[in-house]
Amino acid sequence: MTAISRSGAGKIKAGSFSLNRFSAGTQAFFHVLLALFSLLCIIPFLFVIIISFSSEESIRQIGYSFTPKSWSTAAFTYTFQLGDALWRSYFNSFLITVAGTLCSVSMTVLYAYPLYRRDYRHRNFFNFLSFFTMIFGGGLVPTYVICKNVLGLSDNYAALIVPMLFSPFNVIIMRTFLQTTVPPELIEAATIDGSGEYSTLLRIVLPVVKPGIATIALLVSLAYWNEWFLSLLYLNKNMSIMPLQYLLMRMQRNADFLAKNSSMLGAEAAKAAARLPSQSLKMALVVFIVIPIACAYPFFQRYVIAGLTVGSVKG
Amino acid sequence: MKKFLSLFLALALVLSLSSFAAADDLPTITIMFHGSNVTDDSAVLEKVNEYIADKVGAKLEVIWGTWGDFDEKAVNVLTSGDKDVDMVFTCSWSADEYNSYAKNGYFLKLDELIETCGAALKTAIPESLMQAATIEGAEGKGIYAVNGFKDTATQNTWDVNVTLLNELGYTLEDLQTKGFFGWDEIFAKAKEVKGDSFYPFLVEPMVAERMVTNSIIVAGDAGSTNLLSLYLNPEDVSAEGAYGNKLLNKFATEEYKAFVEQMHKYYEAGYIDPALSVAETSNDARTNHQKDASYLIGTQSYAYGYEFSQDVIARGVEVKFVPCTDPYVDTTASQGAMMAINSASEHPEESMKFLALLNSDPVLMTLLNYGVEGIHYTLNDDGLVVFNADARASYSPWTNGMGNVTILPDTVDEGAGFRKAFQEYYAGAKGIPSLGFVFDNKPVENEMAALGNVAAQYALALDCGAVDPETALPEFLSALDAAGMQKYLDEANAQLDAYLAK
Repeated sequence: MTAISRSGAGKIKAGSFSLNRFSAGTQAFFHVLLALFSLLCIIPFLFVIIISFSSEESIRQIGYSFTPKSWSTAAFTYTFQLGDALWRSYFNSFLITVAGTLCSVSMTVLYAYPLYRRDYRHRNFFNFLSFFTMIFGGGLVPTYVICKNVLGLSDNYAALIVPMLFSPFNVIIMRTFLQTTVPPELIEAATIDGSGEYSTLLRIVLPVVKPGIATIALLVSLAYWNEWFLSLLYLNKNMSIMPLQYLLMRMQRNADFLAKNSSMLGAEAAKAAARLPSQSLKMALVVFIVIPIACAYPFFQRYVIAGLTVGSVKG
Repeated sequence: MKKFLSLFLALALVLSLSSFAAADDLPTITIMFHGSNVTDDSAVLEKVNEYIADKVGAKLEVIWGTWGDFDEKAVNVLTSGDKDVDMVFTCSWSADEYNSYAKNGYFLKLDELIETCGAALKTAIPESLMQAATIEGAEGKGIYAVNGFKDTATQNTWDVNVTLLNELGYTLEDLQTKGFFGWDEIFAKAKEVKGDSFYPFLVEPMVAERMVTNSIIVAGDAGSTNLLSLYLNPEDVSAEGAYGNKLLNKFATEEYKAFVEQMHKYYEAGYIDPALSVAETSNDARTNHQKDASYLIGTQSYAYGYEFSQDVIARGVEVKFVPCTDPYVDTTASQGAMMAINSASEHPEESMKFLALLNSDPVLMTLLNYGVEGIHYTLNDDGLVVFNADARASYSPWTNGMGNVTILPDTVDEGAGFRKAFQEYYAGAKGIPSLGFVFDNKPVENEMAALGNVAAQYALALDCGAVDPETALPEFLSALDAAGMQKYLDEANAQLDAYLAK
């Protein structure tokens, strides 16, 4: 802080000046740097869009290219012809994300809040309970047995939501957020004013920690939106509840498997490979997957930025 | 407050609803297939269940595993003892290892069940295939899976674009007389005529290596990059090869050295697409060149009738598959597609009855494989199957993964008499001398993992000719030695000797 004010002080001239201002050169440098960084983020996505509009012949001849030999909307036409299957899995993705985020966020807040309250006697035990699962997982097969055989999570929406409901990492974020933004005095004051436990949580605490909730909601909804492994594990017969991501991953995994085993499968692999969807179709599906989450991000952004700056000294 | 609570409760209720099976008198048996492309099986299963109700006494449900999913799903089902899945595909060329799963006790021993409920199998499946499925498992020596009757022999072929070859002024005989080591002139001509961006030699590097050196895959060897070679006798596949019944370090033989040196020459001259030498792009590039017919000579692990299949016809040129050897039966091919019964299954008898019926009854096999007549296919005047492409788009199982494909009707593409010829072609195939041997890699698991990593780093580039064998091969061999190649080799040979001594 002192360094900045000193360099600022050296440049005091009549007219416009600001203590926080960088020199023109520095500012230009940062602009270029940030512009480059933004480009790095945008280019892959642009590339995906370009590939999805490239013709199959062009991809076959010159591979992925920013300037394909010829353009085509075949991938999108085909995608729309998938009709029901596509829209159903699109709908499933939305349903799973929305329902999952709602449930998961409520669960995280309801778990983190008591851990934050110093007057809760068993907080150390429950802290440990959630923290422990961060270090020691159950392993794939035991998890599968519990989920499928004990909880009946198989071929239903619950199977795609419940296993991801609780994340100790999110609980820790939420608890820390509560600790830094909600002073215990606030709770005491509410109690003195005659507020019950539920009302304190819902009317006093929650409005204060909105940025924290938004951060977690963003993390959770991204996780749900990108999830495909649960579908691989728990969907066997009822494929109509498959999310879009799994549809895409399946195409990718099929191609990978055939590539790996082509020398073993021989003619069978060649036959199956000829039936695989085209590269541009895969990219068209990626476009379908990315757009909604890219659209949702600006809505969360306000809170996320607020969340990031909370706790720093404001002047 | 109340609204919030009720919303929450309602959501919890919705989430907790799980599917309840409808009450029915017949038990449900579930089968899990590999490599399927099926999104709508309702019409087929309705017919199947009508048909098998009396014959099997059960209702069928199917899990249509896809290429990419199956291994992972099967491992979970088997290791967790999931009793909801009764029958599972298995083989000896992928992660769903028949031999190791049977040893681990995941599969039921079927010998008695075949006697009591599956007698039809004994006439439907050739004795040799039953033999090939007989292995040492958790409950002793026996049959742990029903072996499908399909292309049970391996045959590697040169995939030749005859249209282009003739255009260049050569014939198939020229190719054969010149041989792999003398194709420079033909490739140079192709390059001259078709332009510099044309790559005449379309190899699957690993397959080309086996074809040129006459080596074969050893079942139980490291997965995608094999380390062991067993040399065939190309004149008579049932006789011993150049090195006898001995397993060799694939990369240390003179034959291998000559092969990679020649490949390097071809690669340097620009006859091979560089995309083929990179694992991630190799298969895509190959498929694309085949589709476009933008190649002169390729490699193809062949199955009888492949030239009649749609994707070969669609290339739009005359394609000939020129074999290197007669078809040979080895362990990998003879355990290529099998159906095992999960040891956790609650309905082993119904499952066996179903498998016996599936492998012996043309009606059921056709129904499950080709779909419902009138929906998925129609029969033309000659009684040949004509597929309805639209309906088949949502119902295309993997034919060879299902069982006895010799009882299927002929399709229009294949022509009348195809299945009969198919059956005869493979019935005449001879077994290699060490048929039935499976390398149990358990004792050298760690070495295998280390060696696999080393091989993954070098083998593909060498086989494709992309690196200079002068420097890369010695480097590769010493890296293999450091990773324990000798121990791996000794263990494999000790096991093979013990097997042959029996």
